Amino acid sequence: MNYTDPDIRERLAAEYVLGTMPERARRRFESQLKLSPALRAAVSEWETRLTPMASAVPEITPPRRVWKSIQQRIGGNRPAANSAGWWNNLGVWRAATGLATIALVTLGFFLAIAIEPTAPDTSMMVVVMKDTDTRSPAMTVSWEPGQARKKMLRLRVIGHAEMAPDTAWELWMLPGNDQAPVSLGLITTHELQTLPVPPQLGNVIDDAWGLGMTVEPAGGSPVGEPTNPMLYMGQCVKT
Amino acid sequence: MLARCALSDQRAFDALYRATSAKLFGVAVRITRRKDWAEEVLQESFVKIWHHAGNYDAEKSAPMTWMTAIVRNRALDWLRRPREVQASDELEAFLASVPDEGPGPEELAILSARSGRLHDCLAQLGDDQKRSITLAFFHGLSHGELAAKMDKPLGTVKTWVRRGLDRLRQCLDGLDSI
Repeated sequence: MNYTDPDIRERLAAEYVLGTMPERARRRFESQLKLSPALRAAVSEWETRLTPMASAVPEITPPRRVWKSIQQRIGGNRPAANSAGWWNNLGVWRAATGLATIALVTLGFFLAIAIEPTAPDTSMMVVVMKDTDTRSPAMTVSWEPGQARKKMLRLRVIGHAEMAPDTAWELWMLPGNDQAPVSLGLITTHELQTLPVPPQLGNVIDDAWGLGMTVEPAGGSPVGEPTNPMLYMGQCVKT
Repeated sequence: MLARCALSDQRAFDALYRATSAKLFGVAVRITRRKDWAEEVLQESFVKIWHHAGNYDAEKSAPMTWMTAIVRNRALDWLRRPREVQASDELEAFLASVPDEGPGPEELAILSARSGRLHDCLAQLGDDQKRSITLAFFHGLSHGELAAKMDKPLGTVKTWVRRGLDRLRQCLDGLDSI
């Protein structure tokens, strides 16, 4: 089956979501799904189209034991190290699966509906930086707001980005209100890295509009401002 | 710090469950038609939601759509699992137990209120197209099972489904772009 033909892709995605695909075709389709972002996008569009059909179904309160079992099953991941994983260390934001994952939004969503607000000292600043060309998430940056000194940014580069020879990646704070970007320093293409915030920016970075990244000559921009358009850019969100 | 984070996770997840479980359980019951199965499905789905929250992409779908799709897929998997090893007479019994219509009149009314677009677009389909699509949606019937259930040739049913989906897409996307 030719999965690269948009018409066929569309039709298969529709039948897959509807559930009419025979067993073997479904398994084959699922193995392709892992490889093809276009196929996943088509599936996701069909889920958005068809799933509202389920909104007609009457609500039924599940027995309490269901929640108890769920708690038991997810409770095994505590204390902290693992279950804090997707929450805190951005570990789920990788493109290993190829999925554009935006845990931040989920996190905001979970928090938004939380009945009790979370303690303020557990909040985080998070930026999902997107490729300004493809609009897909390319890098995430997070830090703990508040403390001005020894502030560290935690960076996660999504996917396998490559840096051209004799160039450098420079991270910029975008203060907003038409103010010029301020350099935060050079970064690498490593998946995981930390970057100390220059002391004079320790306070102001919490109020920045966003962050951006540009490709600069080796050693960084010689003029103190970006010499190229932003390659990655994202808005700061406090969670 | 980490422990607190884990705790706030838990609290938010608790709230999420309270806000959505009745709706999602309704979906699981509707598809599996057995409360004990639906309980398993709901449990597995929430464990999955917990572990895979990071895969949720708000740009692609609303949270409820994302979670409903997880529950529905889990419920359909649940139905498919035993059927793979079922003898053919059991399969017939299963098919016979599947209610004929898609959403009942009451549900269609709710559907029209809650999801006007989809309802309007479904209404434009021929009866056979609509019936095969709603049967497949709520019961995960394959083409072959649909054909058996509706007592029509496989090719006919395939065509109904394909044309029905095509028209739904045109209708829904057409409205989208207005």
